[in-house]
Amino acid sequence: MRQVRVLLWVAVAIALLAGGFLLINKPEQSAPNANTIELSGLGGPFNLVGSDGRPFSSAKLNGKPYALFFGFTHCPDVCPTTLARLIKLRQQLGSGDQPFEIVFVTVDPERDGPAEVGKYAELFNSPIVGLTGSASQIEQVKKQFGIFSQKVEQSGGDYTVNHTSTVLLFDRRGRLDGTIAPEEQDSAALAKLKRISA
Amino acid sequence: MKSLLIASLFLLASCGRGGTPDIQVKDAWVRETVAGQQGTAGYMTIENRGSGADRLLSVSAASPITASLHETSTAGGVSSMRPLENGLEIPPGGPVTLKPGSVHVMISGLTAPLRNGEALRLTLRFERSGDRAVDFTVAPAMNGMSH
Repeated sequence: MRQVRVLLWVAVAIALLAGGFLLINKPEQSAPNANTIELSGLGGPFNLVGSDGRPFSSAKLNGKPYALFFGFTHCPDVCPTTLARLIKLRQQLGSGDQPFEIVFVTVDPERDGPAEVGKYAELFNSPIVGLTGSASQIEQVKKQFGIFSQKVEQSGGDYTVNHTSTVLLFDRRGRLDGTIAPEEQDSAALAKLKRISA
Repeated sequence: MKSLLIASLFLLASCGRGGTPDIQVKDAWVRETVAGQQGTAGYMTIENRGSGADRLLSVSAASPITASLHETSTAGGVSSMRPLENGLEIPPGGPVTLKPGSVHVMISGLTAPLRNGEALRLTLRFERSGDRAVDFTVAPAMNGMSH
């Protein structure tokens, strides 16, 4: 009988530990949601640095639809893929549409100065507005647009950056009109881009 | 009886790898870079026309350039890359395609830009087919966007 009671107490202890473990882990489980983009309240005027090294005010985008993408020039795959896709889709707009601007903001100002973002934009043979800024300017703009980024150290002292790869779409009045996720089909993405360019 | 079951399971598991793989690499390309860029990505299609599975274990480049197999994945709107430490299975039949936004060869340590039309030689190490030197053609960033 005594053995049974001991066993039961052990079971209770395990259940309590498991319950406690779940409680402790709860905030972590919901953490990825913090990275997803909440559409409302994003955007507003910003100040960064252009590829010519001079201050860039978002007022320069007034009256123009634009697609805003955050990345970094050392990014081997997702950044060039996203920018190339935006260019391809821009070429598919109708003749009556106003071509949208493609704005690329680095999340890696440590390595990406004005020259780096400028040269990187040249890779695509189509106009891209490449922007950088001080670490605090970039932090401010990331916050303003709900962008997450995190440095990940690699072997050999190098690092890569995990970051939000969703493209934010603004109409010519500067209002956030939608987003494009990397996994989204071209047809759906094009329909959204046509909407801001109409 | 139990040992017979275990033995037959082992036999079944090794069946797929039993035949001989016949590996062909097609459409190998790397994205062009500009001065200052130390990294880029390479893509290719690997066909296996043989009867047994193979595995791409690793990719290497001539020093100081380094190459490794990576996969881009996106969760909650955030993209990240992870190394494919166990390589990539190449089953007989259907081709395995490394393409933008997915599995790719991550290249770093570039000391000079890779220009359109040049080639970068990488060595692919297969578990059963051994080492293959493949010239990856340098192509514009807009490459691979046609479909």
